[in-house]
Order: sequence, then C-alpha cells, then structure tokens
Amino acid sequence: MEIFSLSVVVLFVGGLLPLVIFRFFRLMKAVYTTITVVGCLLGLYGAVTIFSGAAAGPYSLHWLHFFQLRFFLDSLSAFFLVPIFGVCPLAVLYSFHYMDDSNSKIETGVHFFFTNVLIIAMALVVAADTIASFVLAWELMSVSSFMLVIHDYQNKTSRRAGYIYLLFTQTGAAFIFAAMGLAYGYSASFDLVALAQLPEQIKPVVFMLALVGFGSKAGMFPLHIWLPHAHPAAPSNISAIMSGVMIKMGIYGIVRFYALLGTTGTVLGQTILLAGMVSGVLGVVYALGKHDLKKLLAYHSVENIGIILIGLGIGMVGVSSGNMKMAVFGFVGGLLHVLNHAVFKSLLFLGAGAVLKKTGVNHIDQLGGLLKRMPITGRTFMVGSVAISGLPPFNGFVSEFLIYYGAFQGLGAAGGLFILSMLAILSLAVTGGLAAACFTKVVGLVFLGEPRTGQAASAVETRCCATVPMAVLAGACVVIGIFPEPFVQVAFMGLKGLVPVSTAAAADLVAATANLALAGRLFAGLFLCCVVLRKIFYLGKKIRTGPTWGCGFTQPAARMQYTGTSYAMSVVKFFSFFVHIRTRYSGIKRIFPDRPCYETRVDDIAETVLADRIVTPMLYFLGKLRWIQHGHIQLYIGYIIVTIIVLLPFI
Amino acid sequence: MINFADFILVLILLSVLLSLGSTRLMALVKIMALQGVMVSVTPLFLNSHEIPDGGAALFYLVMIFIKGALIPVLLYWAVKRVSIKREIEPIVGYHASIVTGLAVLLGSVFIVNSLHLSLPEGRSFALITANSTLAAGFFLMMARRKAITQVIGYLMLENGIYLIGTALTKRSHTIYIVEFGVLLDLLVGVMIMGIILNNINTAFDDIDTTLLGQLKD
Repeated sequence: MEIFSLSVVVLFVGGLLPLVIFRFFRLMKAVYTTITVVGCLLGLYGAVTIFSGAAAGPYSLHWLHFFQLRFFLDSLSAFFLVPIFGVCPLAVLYSFHYMDDSNSKIETGVHFFFTNVLIIAMALVVAADTIASFVLAWELMSVSSFMLVIHDYQNKTSRRAGYIYLLFTQTGAAFIFAAMGLAYGYSASFDLVALAQLPEQIKPVVFMLALVGFGSKAGMFPLHIWLPHAHPAAPSNISAIMSGVMIKMGIYGIVRFYALLGTTGTVLGQTILLAGMVSGVLGVVYALGKHDLKKLLAYHSVENIGIILIGLGIGMVGVSSGNMKMAVFGFVGGLLHVLNHAVFKSLLFLGAGAVLKKTGVNHIDQLGGLLKRMPITGRTFMVGSVAISGLPPFNGFVSEFLIYYGAFQGLGAAGGLFILSMLAILSLAVTGGLAAACFTKVVGLVFLGEPRTGQAASAVETRCCATVPMAVLAGACVVIGIFPEPFVQVAFMGLKGLVPVSTAAAADLVAATANLALAGRLFAGLFLCCVVLRKIFYLGKKIRTGPTWGCGFTQPAARMQYTGTSYAMSVVKFFSFFVHIRTRYSGIKRIFPDRPCYETRVDDIAETVLADRIVTPMLYFLGKLRWIQHGHIQLYIGYIIVTIIVLLPFI
Repeated sequence: MINFADFILVLILLSVLLSLGSTRLMALVKIMALQGVMVSVTPLFLNSHEIPDGGAALFYLVMIFIKGALIPVLLYWAVKRVSIKREIEPIVGYHASIVTGLAVLLGSVFIVNSLHLSLPEGRSFALITANSTLAAGFFLMMARRKAITQVIGYLMLENGIYLIGTALTKRSHTIYIVEFGVLLDLLVGVMIMGIILNNINTAFDDIDTTLLGQLKD
C-alpha cells in the first residue's frame, strides 16, 4: 500500500509540474513524461507485490468529520491496477511527440495535468473501500476525462462530443449514487463490505441500479452512445487510455458489486449475459458500417465490452447454477479479456492516432497503402487487428477461448441454462467472425493497396516516442498469446477472493491453459516455419514487383479499389433490422454520366431511438414552457422566492 | 450599560432601510461596506462573555477584510468603470421601497415571535434583523434594474444568511468553515457579476438588466 500511495503522489506531482513550467515546452514534456512513467511503473510494481502475497493494509483518512475515506487493495483491485499502470505510461510516452503543437502550450500543460488526474482517479476507484471514497474517485475520473475530451475545445464537434459524454457519465454516476444511497438506507454504513448485509430482496435492485451506471461507463448497449462521439473527439493518446482502461472501470464496478453483494440469484447473471450478447453483436455490426477510423474502433470497444460481459455472465450463471467449472472459466476469461482488450485496443488507437497525425485524414476511404510508408505503425496495427479478432497466437484468442470453454460447460445442463450457453456461444462466434471481417476491411483499406489521396501518399513514419509504445503493446499481445499461464493465474487470483472456487475447477483451468499455450506456440511455430519455407523456396528465383492492384491493367487507378462501404455492405445489410442504412445515390441518367455519387450512412439504433422517441417529444413539450424564460432577472428572482415559500411547509 | 449587540443590530437595520432608499450607487456601496463590517462583528458582541482565541480572531479579521474592504472595493471599481452614478427608473420607487422595508421589518418581527423559539437573551432581535436583511436583499434584487444594485442585493442577502446562522447557533470557529465557503461563493459571484456587468455595458451601452431579455432565444 505504501508503494501505491507513493506512486499516486509521484503521479500528482508529475501532473502539477506542467502547469508551472508550460512555457518551456520541450522541457515540460520531457519532465512530465519521465515522472509519469516512473510513477506508473512504481504503481505496477506495487500491484505485482500484492499478487506475491504482500499484505495491503487499509489507508484511511477522515474528511469533514463524517465521511471516512479509506483505500484498500485486494487481488481484484491489483488485477485492475495492471492495465491502469501498464497501459497509461505507454500512452503518456506516446503523447511526447503526439502533443507537439507549440502554439497551445498552456492547453498542453492542462491536458497533461488532467491526464494524470485521470490515472490517479482510476487507481483510486479500484482501491476505494468506502462509499464516500468510491464516489469521490468516480466523479474525479468522470470530470477529468471530460476535460480531456474537450481538449480541442475550439472545435464545435469536440464540444458537442464532450457534452454528450458529460451527460452520459453524470447520468450514470447518478444511478450509481442511487444504488449507494439505497444501500446506505438499509445498512446505515459507509463501508462497501456492508453491502453483503442488505436484505435479499433489495440486492437485485441495488445491482441493477449500479449496472445502469457502470454499464454507461463501460459502453454497454444501449448506453454506449457517448463512445463513438467522445473517442474520435479526444486526442488519440486519451482515446487509448479511455477506451483501453477507463471503460474497464465500469466492468470493475460490476464485478466488485457482484462480489460484494454476494447474491446468487439467477437474474443477475442472465441480465449480464444478455447485455453482453447484444453489445457484442451490435457493436461489431455498427463498427462494420462506420468509415471513420476512430469511430469504428470505438464501436469495437462496445463489442469487446460485450465479450467481457458474456464471460462474466457465464461466470455468474455458473455460480448460481452450481457449475463451478463454468463459473471459473467464464470469470477468468472475462477478466483476462479486460487486460487483453486494454492492450490491443490502446495499441489500435495509438496506431489510428499515428495515421491521423501523419495524414490528417480520419476517413478510411481516403487512406491506403500506408504499410509501405509507415512500416512499424502498420505492422503493429496488424498485430492488434489479429488479436482483437480473437485469432491465435495472440492474446485475444486466449481469453475468448476460455469464455467459449466456460460456455461449453453449460451445454450439458438442461432447460434455460442450455439455451443461454448456446446463445452465448453463437453470439461469440458471430462477434468474432464479424470482427475479423471488420478488421480485414480496416487493414485492407488503410494499410494495403494504393493511396487514395495525396495526404495518404505523402505520409511518413512517426517518431520513436510513438512507435516504441506501439511495439511494446504489440509485443505484449504476442507474449500473452504464447505464454498465457502467468496471466491466466493472475486473473484467477483476482477472482479467488470473491467467488468460492473448487480445487477441481482450478486444476482444470491450469490444464486448459497449458494446452492453450501449447496450441499457441505450435501455431506460432507453424507460421514461422511457413515464412522461412517461403523464403527458402524463393531463394535464387527472380522476383519482379509491380504496383499493387496492377492486375494487368494498362492504366490502374486508386479508385479501382474496394471502398469501405462496398466491402462491408453485404454483411451490414444482413442486420438491416437493427441497422438503419441511409443511402444517397444520384443515379446514372445519361449515357456519359458526369458525376454520379453513392453514399451510405449507418445509423445507430440506440441513438435514433433516443433522438426520436425521447429527446424530440421532450423538446416539443418543453418548447411549450418557453414563456417561463422571458428574460427578466427580477422575475427570475421572484421564482426563487416563490419556490422557497412553496417548499417551506414540507420541511 | 449600553448593549452593544442591540446597538449594532439597530445600525444594520438602519443601513438596510438606507440602502432601500438611496439613489446614488456610490452611497450604496459605502452603506454595504458599513453593513458588512457590522455584520461581521455581530457574533463578537452576541457572545461577549467569550474571549475569541487565535483562530477565531483571524477568522473575524478575514471576514471584516473581505466584507468591509475587498468586496466594496471591487464594487467601487465596477461603478467607476461603467460610470453610472445613480439608479434611474427603479421598478419600485424609493419611497415605496422604504415602506416595503418597514413592512418587511414588521413581518419578520411577527414571524420570529410566532415561531416561539427558545433563544438566549438578545438572540431573537438578531433573528429579526437577519430576516429583514435577507428579505430586503431579495427585494432589492427584484426592484432595481441596474446590475450593480442587484449584486448589492445579493450581498445583503448573504449578510442576512450569515446573521441567521449567528443568531441560531452557538458556535466555535471550527464550524465557521461553512461560512467561509459561502463567503468564497460570494466573492466569486461578485467577480462574475463584474465581468457580466462589463459585457452588458459594452454590448448595450447600459447596465440595465431588462436589456438582457433580448438575449433569450
């Protein structure tokens, strides 16, 4: 705990310094990056000592005589500290060259300050042990991330995205506070552990309220609307932190509340499982329909949150039905996917940021051929793409396999459990397949082929501060994929204190991981063999290279290539029940058509329903009350007095 | 022996009536400075048998400084800047305002008496003063057009709130932290009003708040 406190202090100091020395731009960036990386590594070390059995004494202080702020680290907190302190320093390092606008020195300093506040707040959220400290850290996290989203505040879209984010995060927080308040009403204690003593009929209500709040932070369908707005608006290093780490705090909240409530009702697991399936499938379908690189990645976050929720849901259903094997595999798979998603999603966002920085283009139909121009970014992005699609030998495969394995354990049962397991397997399969399709689209359009625009053609590789983090994250993808045993064990330790696990299930987990590791290594070996063989076979043969998509045409043009729309449309149309496709097509009217255009847009069903069914009627109704706002301050003050007088008798 | 607490409370009441009847903005600012000082020292005389210790003394000094010097100086600058000397065309006239002030005073006497609170000696008069200051502050905000007068009304309102707190509770300086919070709010409020004042002035060439009605959508 001392190391943890020390790292928090170091991070805070590292955040304050840029506010003081922002005039010396390069010095500020160097000092900030160094201190923050050191602070994060300290925190990472602290988390690792928890796993090796070091006791983490509670650290408490009293505030306003009434609220006790107490922080405590157990193995679950330590597990979530790993992505926080592992991914954030890389994103910070990346920002050294990414935030290089020397015209906005003070803005950059403020940006760095809030980045560190966000890191600290996330660390405190997982360490919080009382209601007051949890709520305080949670709000700190929401507000600091809002400040980071509106970094580019002169831009109207950024401001709008920021407000959407603020609306969702604060509404979610209100639900969490409601859950906490309800719990306090029954237990009259500020300790989070007191949640276990709630009456049995209140527990599901508390859990559902908290689920709405945590789900909106995590990006669970249909509460995910802020994600595709906020992630593109934020700078890429922040998108990486937010998408890779911050939304996992929602998952942490769900797991922590589930464990604290200690309820084994079936409805919780089923709800989580269903939410996971819907998020997983719809997230990836919308991702296929989107052509804005960062927006697409944001929808993939929704999808991966869905996969994590499926894992947790299988675990909860397993616990409530007494199927220990299912429970262990579901939970461990879900938790490990938290770590894995943190790794590859931040990798992808950093890659997308590098592309955006060097080309200035975010639309995938205007990119192309970047693999030759940005070799490291392109290759690491490919690693991330394969990993997020859940293919061996990378890390996504390991966690998704564990979740599959957990789901298959439920097939032997009868009735509802069988149907749920079947549905989980099906939706996992659909999600994985579509994710692979989507990333062939992204990699194919952005990195392969010929550049479609001048900006893409003139791109060059980013500086080392940006490529090193991407290389490290890609390396982590490979390492977790080929040596999964320690990581699975870490996830298992995070779980052990929370859910009663049998030794048989634990032994099964070890055996399955060993097999998985063997399979991963075999696959990697096979792949390397193929590469080497190919080299050998081509040895001494004459190799001639031509332009990509040359295909024997005399005048090949970049416009001959697939567009994102044409590639994905056949899949997206299959889901047209959930996906509203708007098409604009000018048609061809003459024999020599001059400028035909074809454009499709994919609308998010959650967003359209929110806009058409809730916001528009509300605006109509509130428009009728416009006369209240007449512009006379004197009468406004009169309103206040009338309100107070009306409310007085109720005291 | 002269009862200093009653003396000060009467002064506060008079300053309230005076502020309702004064047309000059400068005079209004000066009255507010006097009222601020009086309000800040009231608890000292109400609890005259207690000798304030170091922390409390510091608190009173800071209080007197902010209410008696800092905020009036800020207001003084604002009045200078927009170069408006007097309030013309108030929504409620000056004589009517003074009559209203007296009515408010009567009303608060009635309210305090009908509450039947068991307050220590001298506290009920403090409560009456507090209520009338608060209500008069509200009235000033509603009855005047110029933004500066509204800030002053707001200040008076806060003075009233502070006095209510003083009258109702027996306190040590550690709990004054809440009052400090209110004070901070007030200071920020005055500063923001100063900025808005400046903007209204440059936008409309006047600081009449009724002009703000044009901004509604």
